[in-house]
Amino acid sequence: MKFVCLNCETYMNFEKVEKPGEGTLGVFFGCPSCSAKFSMVTNPGETQMVSSLGVQLGGRTVAAEPFEMTRGTLKDEATAGSGQMAAYLNEKIQGGQPAAAAATAAPAGKPGEKPSGGCPFSAMVAEMGLTSGGKPATGGAATSDFTWSADAKEKLDRLPSFVKPMVQSSVEAFARKQGYQTITLQVMDDSKSESSNGMPWTPDAEKRLENIPDFIRPMARKEVERVAKERGLATITAQVMDEVKEKFMKFM
Amino acid sequence: MAVEKDLKAILGKLKFSDDAKVLAQISENTKLVHARMASIKHKLVVMSGKGGVGKSMTAVNLGLAFARQGAKVGLLDVDLNGPCVPRMLGMHGQSLTMRPEGAIPPVGPLGVKVASMDFFLDDASPVRWKGPMDVSPVWLGLMEMNVIREFLADVVWGELDYLLVDLPPGAAADKPPVIAGFIPDLAGAIVVTTPSEVASDVVQKSVTYARDMGIKVLGMVENMSEYRCPSCGEVNELFEGNTEAMCEALDLPLLGRVPFDRKIARTFDKGEPLLDETYPTIQRYQEIAGRIRTLLDYKKLLADKL
Repeated sequence: MKFVCLNCETYMNFEKVEKPGEGTLGVFFGCPSCSAKFSMVTNPGETQMVSSLGVQLGGRTVAAEPFEMTRGTLKDEATAGSGQMAAYLNEKIQGGQPAAAAATAAPAGKPGEKPSGGCPFSAMVAEMGLTSGGKPATGGAATSDFTWSADAKEKLDRLPSFVKPMVQSSVEAFARKQGYQTITLQVMDDSKSESSNGMPWTPDAEKRLENIPDFIRPMARKEVERVAKERGLATITAQVMDEVKEKFMKFM
Repeated sequence: MAVEKDLKAILGKLKFSDDAKVLAQISENTKLVHARMASIKHKLVVMSGKGGVGKSMTAVNLGLAFARQGAKVGLLDVDLNGPCVPRMLGMHGQSLTMRPEGAIPPVGPLGVKVASMDFFLDDASPVRWKGPMDVSPVWLGLMEMNVIREFLADVVWGELDYLLVDLPPGAAADKPPVIAGFIPDLAGAIVVTTPSEVASDVVQKSVTYARDMGIKVLGMVENMSEYRCPSCGEVNELFEGNTEAMCEALDLPLLGRVPFDRKIARTFDKGEPLLDETYPTIQRYQEIAGRIRTLLDYKKLLADKL
């Protein structure tokens, strides 16, 4: 922030900061030509804005203390009380009237306007045919062209709600591709195998993958397949494994 | 009558200089965070979208597990409004020692260093800030982020192998991933959940948001997976969720499952943490810590084992 002395047509110099009261700062400026002085006084909101940035007005002249801002702005029990900014606004804007009274005195809206109570988005949500949770108003049950066996359906229903549609869609896509009409536990398992094994692996490559701890094996599998795809390869062989190994040797 | 001045013309003749050096001060603050974090090998955040899933318990026990494995560990509790790490470790009432070079953290069980907002508060005192927080939560947000910046910049951790940052609950813009974004060279986030569907739903949102912010999510810890009876030792399920399916959908490794254990809960609640590494639940944390170490050395592992 800069101030200009309009008489001398020059920037005024920052001189000092004082704290005339809690939640307010007095920032002093002087004109280098005519020596005119003035002080800008901040309200609690402006003071807060500056201190929240963790900067010192006029620049830092001494090194910061550890936890300077935390210690300086934690409110003591003794000073805990009614808000400074609420008091300031009440005094300056509402002319000292209690906030509740000012709210009561506010105009009730133009004649013919719809009442403004309630959620402003509810009408929009209703128009979109959604419930407030964002699910289709029909209850969220995804329609299916397939017959699900009881045990497969039970397994699907046990999945977390956000996972269920993804799994259902993936299994049904697999079933469609394979020409199945009914989805059984076996179909679910087979679909999982297909999605995790996006590329064929030779037995020796699979054997080498088993050296990786099981909890990160899926990550390693994807990494190997990603490298193979980058190189335009269709099958994971021992040679691909060597290339991946060599790639990671560079990070050691 | 005063002559009307043309401010634009006046400014055109003047040379602007930023005497307050606001940008330089902000930049200096960021440099301080980087300098302080540089002596820490692995910086990890422990997060969850959901509150009450046991983030702090997980962070504390993983910190202790790393320490048992011989690592130098720091625990930073940045849950400003609900700090509980010092109390769990029996360190409530201690404080940071202010020195010109920074704040020296107290040392807890197994040599774990701890920094927390709790060290600034009296018994039963909530965090209250001076200023106009009563009018706008925007100011509160600014203030809290700046306090967190001070925790990152001002604590003298020294050389550490691991710094575990216990984040407050929240899924998205309500801070946690933003805080994580503050930490330079963050190794990754460990996400804590319970098998509850409600928790899973929120947790997956926080994973998505963290990834949007460019934070690497290392894996998931399922807390309260079962209940271990303190009398007979029998273990039963508490919820009927499916964390494995969630991990699969999110393409994340499940780092481990930790049962709800009344003995552990009680001892940490009293500030007399159970440290016996042969105790079954403590062993679960040891295993999870081991998996995290493996994940941090993922590239080395692939180079070695493939």
